[in-house]
Amino acid sequence: MINAVRDTKITRKKLLNMNTLPHNKKALWETPWGYSESFIIGLGLIFTGFLMELMIPTHNALILKFPYNLYAVLGYVAILFIAFKWCSNLQLVRWMTKVPASISSIVLVTVMVMLMGTFPQVPSENKWITALGLNHITTHWSFILILMLFLSCLGLVTIKRVLQFKWKNTGFILNHLGLFLALVAGMVGTGDLQRLTLDTYEGKPSLIAYDIDGKQVELPFAVYLKDFKMEEYLPKLALVDNEEGKIVHNNGKNLYLIEEGITYPFETYEIEVLTFLSSSGRVANGYQFVNEAGSPPSAQIKVTNKQTKEEITGWICSGSFRHPYEALKINDELSVVMTIPEAKKFASDISLLNPDGSREEAVLEVNKPLAYQGYKLYQLSYDDRMGKWSNLSVIELVRDPWLPVIYIGIFMMIIGAVYMFWTGSKINKEEAL
Amino acid sequence: MTWIDFPLYSIIIVLLWFIGFVFLATSYKKEQLTTVAILAFVAGWGVLLYFVKELWIELQRPPMRTLGETRLWYAVFLPLVGVVTYYRWKYKWFLGYSIGMAGMFLIINYLNPETYSKTLMPALQSPWFIPHVLVYLFSYAVLAASSIVALKAMWDMYKGTFSMNALRLADNLVYIGFAFLTLGLLFGALWAKEAWGHYWTWDPKEVWAFLTWMGYLIYIHYRYFHPHKSKQAIRILALAFVVLIICWFGVNYLPVANTSVHTYTQ
Repeated sequence: MINAVRDTKITRKKLLNMNTLPHNKKALWETPWGYSESFIIGLGLIFTGFLMELMIPTHNALILKFPYNLYAVLGYVAILFIAFKWCSNLQLVRWMTKVPASISSIVLVTVMVMLMGTFPQVPSENKWITALGLNHITTHWSFILILMLFLSCLGLVTIKRVLQFKWKNTGFILNHLGLFLALVAGMVGTGDLQRLTLDTYEGKPSLIAYDIDGKQVELPFAVYLKDFKMEEYLPKLALVDNEEGKIVHNNGKNLYLIEEGITYPFETYEIEVLTFLSSSGRVANGYQFVNEAGSPPSAQIKVTNKQTKEEITGWICSGSFRHPYEALKINDELSVVMTIPEAKKFASDISLLNPDGSREEAVLEVNKPLAYQGYKLYQLSYDDRMGKWSNLSVIELVRDPWLPVIYIGIFMMIIGAVYMFWTGSKINKEEAL
Repeated sequence: MTWIDFPLYSIIIVLLWFIGFVFLATSYKKEQLTTVAILAFVAGWGVLLYFVKELWIELQRPPMRTLGETRLWYAVFLPLVGVVTYYRWKYKWFLGYSIGMAGMFLIINYLNPETYSKTLMPALQSPWFIPHVLVYLFSYAVLAASSIVALKAMWDMYKGTFSMNALRLADNLVYIGFAFLTLGLLFGALWAKEAWGHYWTWDPKEVWAFLTWMGYLIYIHYRYFHPHKSKQAIRILALAFVVLIICWFGVNYLPVANTSVHTYTQ
């Protein structure tokens, strides 16, 4: 009797607790694991990662090359599959297919990426940033560990939905499987990703490219640069401060493109472009059209002070690697200058030479890469000091055999996004029914 | 037909849209007026399309190169998305919102005539430029609207007048906005592959766009599994918007800014 009374008391106390606490009263680590356990596990992984970072900082060994990365992926997916199919009574597996694990791993990946978005990912002088590895998050142990947890949760729920396929889960599968494929292929593909830069010079074939670490790589074909071409925008007019040499902002408006016969307002001045020469050379009292390498554009302008009606006429020139620039001083504080023309378009006219003597002609342009022998060739840069007269063209060669898998993932997510837009939130429909 | 004719056309369009706006606002009381409002929007849109077509022919190239031209396209696409979304979801205010944004772009173009000829660096001259920027812009606009709903819900909770309907509206907006955010991110990846050789380089802007995406991902998952915990959901939504704001303008002020290809300010 006495025992029974005591039991009732305990039960009442328990009930009271249940009312006051936000979650059902459940001891920590009592199954099923909830948010507390999930965050403890996740934060534990991050903490472990930081400790590992202090002890074993370099881990390029983790980057696998073909075919080992393929084996690793197949092994990983097989483990996930086996775990789901035959070990689903394990608490760890059951936890990973549940919501608290998903949400906590999304949150913690977000936290790690926030570190990446806050600390510049470049070598740092701060010893704490360097010691904790905050400037190389993408290869940080904590990031890798938490991302593995995230991926495993994602993989398990995807396997679950794929095995229990229903048409109404199409959107779910497209989004989750798409993300899983893109992430996995992106991660293991790093080992096979080759990004090379090749300096080519007009009239010369080039064969030796350099990778990101500056190591030489011999290409299976040579690139012969026939011609580097550049189109430029018209130069712009700008007012500069005589003392500081900085551009004075024209009330936040943009700089004006120089065109013959056009008049622009600049604060209290009016500037008229009398003559514009796209390529010119200095002569005794002005400029003349000259067409040779390094001839800069110039313009004759008339500056009128609208208040005093004072007029000044003179020449301005942007200058080039060969000729100095020329500004027109309009008062003690200000001068009118011509900016160096900006690149509008640049392209390389190339021949690709194979060891068997065959060749192929191509034009490389920004945003128009060329696929050749498993590589993709990109117009990267040129000698910007020389501008359009540059005889150097830098070409980037990229080989990424995992790209098709990434694209499949990306396109699945694109279809998933459209599907999501069209069907909208499911919660609302269920509640509306 | 050149930009010289733009003020005339933009005034006609903005006027028509304004009339549509007035009818849309009054249609809450008198339902039949919705049709009139939509007719006015479509008429304005037709004028805009005519202007774009003529400009295209005149320039002998697609008018998609300069910033002013880009804004013209926003003004073309936003009403389209607004009307489609209206037919799907029946949100009148949303239709008004997208027409309002489109009108704003026309007004910006009207006020900044000199940007028509602004130069565009070669890497940006890509067919991906428009869809990438457009879907992002639209997604930001919709997600911003969802945050306004969240703020309203917080206020209602404080006053004790909170209703689940507010959160349902936020959900629909987040779903629309998130779908577009995903498209923006993925279009960006596909474009980056064409222009810079790699689809993902952890550029600061990319990092924060990814974080924004993750923020709304948390909200969607949380809402899906805990449909009745409205308070936490609203908090997550508010936090996600803070991340979005950092991504939108904040990145330029972070220490990471100078390592980004998305920072165009000097």
